Amino acid sequence: MSNCGHVSTVFAGLGQRLLPGVAVAVVSRSPVGPMEEEEEEARALLPGGPNEAGRGAPVTPPAPGALPALCDPSRLAHRLLVLLLMCFLGFGSYFCYDNPAALQTQVKRDMQVNTTKFMLLYAWYSWPNVVLCFFGGFLVDRVFGIRWGTIIFSCFVCVGQVVFALGGIFRAFWLMEFGRFVFGIGGESLAVAQNTYAVSWFKGKELNLVFGLQLSMARIGSTVNMNLMGWLYSKVEASLGSPGHTTLGVTLMIGGITCILSLVCALALAYLDQRAERILHKEQGKTGEVIKLTDVKDFSFPLWLIFIICVGYYVAVFPFIGLGKVFFTEKFGFSSQAASAINSIVYVISAPMSPVFGLLVDKTGKNIIWVLCAVVTTLASHMMLAFTLWNPWIAMCLLGLSYSLLACALWPMVAFVVPEHQLGTAYGFMQSIQNLGLAVISIIAGMILDTWGYLFLEVFFIACVSFSLLSVVLLYLVNRAQGGNLNYSARQREEIKLSHAE
Amino acid sequence: MRSLVLLLSLLLTAAPFGLLGEETRQVSLKVISDWLDPSQNLLHIQAVGATSTLHYVWGSLGPPAVLLVATNTPNSTLSVNWSLLISSEPDGGLMVLPKESIQFSSALVFTRLFEFDSTNTSDAAAKPPGKSYPPYSLADFSWDNITDSLDPATLSATFRGHPIHDPTGAFANGSLAFRVQAFSRSGRPAQPPRLLHTADTCQLEVDLVGVSPRGNRSLFGLEVATLGHGPDCPSVQEQRSIDDEYAPAVFQLDQLLWGSLPSGFMQWRPVAFSQKQGGRESAMPCQASSLYPTLAYLLPQSPIVRAFFGSQNYFCAFNLTFGASTGPGYWDQHYLSWSMLLGVGTPPVDALSSLVLGIVAVALGAPALMLLAGGVFLLLGRKWYSEYQPIN
Repeated sequence: MSNCGHVSTVFAGLGQRLLPGVAVAVVSRSPVGPMEEEEEEARALLPGGPNEAGRGAPVTPPAPGALPALCDPSRLAHRLLVLLLMCFLGFGSYFCYDNPAALQTQVKRDMQVNTTKFMLLYAWYSWPNVVLCFFGGFLVDRVFGIRWGTIIFSCFVCVGQVVFALGGIFRAFWLMEFGRFVFGIGGESLAVAQNTYAVSWFKGKELNLVFGLQLSMARIGSTVNMNLMGWLYSKVEASLGSPGHTTLGVTLMIGGITCILSLVCALALAYLDQRAERILHKEQGKTGEVIKLTDVKDFSFPLWLIFIICVGYYVAVFPFIGLGKVFFTEKFGFSSQAASAINSIVYVISAPMSPVFGLLVDKTGKNIIWVLCAVVTTLASHMMLAFTLWNPWIAMCLLGLSYSLLACALWPMVAFVVPEHQLGTAYGFMQSIQNLGLAVISIIAGMILDTWGYLFLEVFFIACVSFSLLSVVLLYLVNRAQGGNLNYSARQREEIKLSHAE
Repeated sequence: MRSLVLLLSLLLTAAPFGLLGEETRQVSLKVISDWLDPSQNLLHIQAVGATSTLHYVWGSLGPPAVLLVATNTPNSTLSVNWSLLISSEPDGGLMVLPKESIQFSSALVFTRLFEFDSTNTSDAAAKPPGKSYPPYSLADFSWDNITDSLDPATLSATFRGHPIHDPTGAFANGSLAFRVQAFSRSGRPAQPPRLLHTADTCQLEVDLVGVSPRGNRSLFGLEVATLGHGPDCPSVQEQRSIDDEYAPAVFQLDQLLWGSLPSGFMQWRPVAFSQKQGGRESAMPCQASSLYPTLAYLLPQSPIVRAFFGSQNYFCAFNLTFGASTGPGYWDQHYLSWSMLLGVGTPPVDALSSLVLGIVAVALGAPALMLLAGGVFLLLGRKWYSEYQPIN
């Protein structure tokens, strides 16, 4: 139980974009149950230590001065208000992350850039996170504190989006790139802060639900963006008279309103959190992340394989979605709206399916087999997109399902091969490599598309997924040969836990 | 189902070509001039194979036109009677002999250059794509001497022309060019859209360069006329393909077939380019209308076509429109380029390149092999282990 609990805490220190469904997957190990169990989980959530004692203290009884339920930090109504703010805290960054994908044709036309340069917009988001995912937790815990950290990261997101939009208005593509860079600095760390807030307010209470809701909100943000921005562009175009870089800039600026909304949420949360601290004597939330880069040399071979699986898999999903819209209009003759809809289906599916798959993996164990299933399904889906003219809804729904399944089965595996005290480093490293992979592959994908077209791009993605598949097979064999615990069923894990307890 | 059709068509192309297909041909380009007026000339492309000869006769007498004649003998010849050809009754001025060797013949005439104002059209698929300016009749163009542009090394020649009367001076710094190229074997040019050609085909590239448009966002179109059999017109087939390796993001191949296969065909990708490099950022859609029957007197007359086919003919016409009101357009660099293939036999079909097949084979094979090898290793390892266990 303590292992599981610690995993949850570490997960809180990770961005959600690259970590879909994980929190739910892990937390759902103890599905909503009797109150005692939740209390126990609350205690388990705390990494032991003398200075942590205060944090787990049971909720203080309601203050004698009768506050209305909505304003009383110890009441559910108030927590729901906080939850609402938390959900919208991330909305802006998720909404704006995929702005380029939603406006791919417009960006390329109005800024007169080719696909390679277009994909730099995604690469520039990833570059800062190659480094930052090691420090996000550190910055929140030691430097800014959760409240200021959240506000600062939100500001970065806002400023980044505004600069991105200004780049459009002034027709300066380098400015757009710079905007995405600033946006990237804020975006991923903001997700870390958001999770920390969630743990701090809801541990031992509705944490499962909260993680689930936050994830769903993230997916909703991406989906709304995909389906809204094209329409917004045409409205701006109608009022400005003609398409062009100004139209693009204004559209992005309007999109930036969501970031302002997020910043407002950050400010409100900071106020409420401070107020709660005053009333309930509650401490500022911490990610509890400990990162020691020297741990890297102790990483085992299976862990490296997990990293490879992760990179090989995600680089075949995110850059594909970034470039997908034109693919669906050109190859399958979809209208712009239909192409947006199908391009967002992966996110739509992952919102409800993540908890389901999380429960499934929890109840059955056998993580490697699930990862294998997910990777093979993804391979099949890319093969369909590449070599058939079948309705792409089939392939994209499969991709959405496998994407959700992979997240639920792959990320928890790290906890089985790494000692607890190195978990933070392992996850940080995993995200860092992933961001590096995304940045590099985004650029390569753009170049491939410009030169050899979508078929070749799909073949390239197939190669990436197959590389990932190769690693899964190798991981299975290595685990089998070493007698590792990665592929235990849930029952075997229980038995081992019991035998350890004895 | 569609993929099955695709597979079948792939297999078909792998099968031996039809009646007229030849791997290589002896191709010669010859300019045939009128003795009396050397400015009048024809470009005769003769592609001789082992058992057949293809004749392409390109001419700018009247509007630019091409005759396409396939014969089943390597010894057929073209005979030109200039005095008939330039007369008002040119019937019989062009003949391919022996007559009974002709397996297939047809013609294309490029009659008019359209220009539309797309400023107020947001609907890209609207027909017509905007207010139409008066079209340029290509019969009223004067064309540069073809002899100067003849290049025997690349088997190409260019008809470059501008209107005889150009009151607005739109063509003062520009021209419309028809670049014709023949091939002695199959291959693929480096320039997009990189259509696969065979020895049975020749390529036409239409370039509009430097012409001042009459509107800020002018779209250009080309009217193409051809011969119909009887009152019915041949149809334009739009083939969807999975392969955009040679023309990034273009998944369609359009072709006009004159009859049941193997017959003549015209093939093009629905894409034109607004820059010379022909990259993806300059790709414009090219929309083709369906063919409609038209009366001969509504079209500018081509003496070449009449000389070969006589005056009793059914004509069909269709329009190609290049670009859309949004996206790249002629206005970017005052440049427009579009290519098509004209040929006889089975139209060439792109097959997946060996690089693609190789990568997919490795990508699917490697994990399978690894699983197999690992499985064997684990099984043997366990056996070995259980055999030696009892010793302890």
